Amino acid sequence: MNKPHGEIIVDGYDMLKKPKKAKKEIGYMPEGVPLYTDLTVKEFVTYMAEIKQVDKKNKKEKVEKIIEQTGLKDVEKKLVKNLSRGYKQRVSMAGALVGEPKILILDEPTVGLDPKQITEIRNLIKELGKTHTVILSSHILSEVSQICNKVIIINKGKIVAIDTPENLESKVTNNNSVYVTVEDPENKIKATTEKITDIKKIELVEENGDGTKQYIIEANGEIDLRKTIFAELAKENITIFEMKKADTTLEDAFMKLIEGGNQ
Amino acid sequence: MWAVIKKEFKSYFYSPVGYVFIGLFLIMFSIFFYTDVFNYQSTNFEYIFYSGATILTFIVPILTMRTMAEERKSGTEQLLLTSPLSITKIVIGKFMAATLIVVITLVCTFMYFAILCFFGKPHIITALITMLGFLLLAISYISFGILASSITENQIIAGVITIGFFILTWFLPQFSTIFTNFSLINMFSKFPSGQIDIADTVTFIGFTVACLLLTIIFMQRRKSVR
Repeated sequence: MNKPHGEIIVDGYDMLKKPKKAKKEIGYMPEGVPLYTDLTVKEFVTYMAEIKQVDKKNKKEKVEKIIEQTGLKDVEKKLVKNLSRGYKQRVSMAGALVGEPKILILDEPTVGLDPKQITEIRNLIKELGKTHTVILSSHILSEVSQICNKVIIINKGKIVAIDTPENLESKVTNNNSVYVTVEDPENKIKATTEKITDIKKIELVEENGDGTKQYIIEANGEIDLRKTIFAELAKENITIFEMKKADTTLEDAFMKLIEGGNQ
Repeated sequence: MWAVIKKEFKSYFYSPVGYVFIGLFLIMFSIFFYTDVFNYQSTNFEYIFYSGATILTFIVPILTMRTMAEERKSGTEQLLLTSPLSITKIVIGKFMAATLIVVITLVCTFMYFAILCFFGKPHIITALITMLGFLLLAISYISFGILASSITENQIIAGVITIGFFILTWFLPQFSTIFTNFSLINMFSKFPSGQIDIADTVTFIGFTVACLLLTIIFMQRRKSVR
């Protein structure tokens, strides 16, 4: 937790001057969920409560509460080493939660889980986010955009961006593009779209096996083209099979920001 | 700190380590009881501890080799380091837990004393002083074992370093008399005659404190370097 330079301030306490108080405010769930495998779930959570100096009086209640909250009630008497990966993740999270810290630091909390477990853990994190500050470190960006309301992108040790996921996504969207899949045997679409002045360019994306073609149509400026495209293509008897706005994901934003940083 | 002592102590008995340590010690102790005391028809309970000290050399690493190394290897060290517990308390907690195992073993050896009481009058004060010396030797060994465990993440290496060091200090006096004063096991040998040597006592305690301090410094340095 110490560092070569700079300072770490946790809830007003300097990490170097008041490490005890600062650490009390942190619940840390390390990557790879290291656990004491020869203890039972309850013993582990109790031990974590003890080393986090939870009051002796309500230690028992708190441990019970956390076990309940993280859904470990059924396995509380099992040895940690006999649990599945998903449960181990929960035990680790219970360990991080037990001191009632204000700040939760979760390092890759859903790595190695099956889809059901991932949803469960994500819901748990969302739930915790209501009452705690959750710092989530993750490489799965869809997860980040789903759970987080503030994103910090770090490239080579430097902060490249701090913003909400929505803002980051919209920052990269510089054009209003639309994907259309059409059945157009006479190839009339290019000529048709040239009539619409708002269209900057049209490009063929791919030809599907069933005779339909997918195009990407880019607009001049911030206009929604879908209505006009629909109307014009209908006039020419071109059947639209699918039409959707091209949306940018956090991945695109991430790639763009990282590339910008590397140049 | 209590939490660490309690958990470490329990862990010794969740794994075979605690049983192996106490069991091995008592088996060897019984053999020496037979050869050193029973065969000579003597009631000098304390004589067994001369041999007992040599057993200690080989079995203390069983207790100590995993203390720090395993935490580091499995990553549970991070749980401890991010908790409000100071490193000093963690190290002392682990040290106390191992010491407690030795104390239990010592208490068990009282049954041999009881057997001797049946046949004669063993000297209780000498026996207690011997045990005190034995405990002092044990804490120096344990503290060194913990130090060895803190510098590597491989338990086996920690164990080998510990045994190697003990054997070295044991046999060094045979090469040169200069080393006589550095041999931990030699220092112990005065206790069974019923005298508490202040110099030796201080050396034992000093060695223990030094090893524990070094362990704490190592842990702290490693933490800040990462």
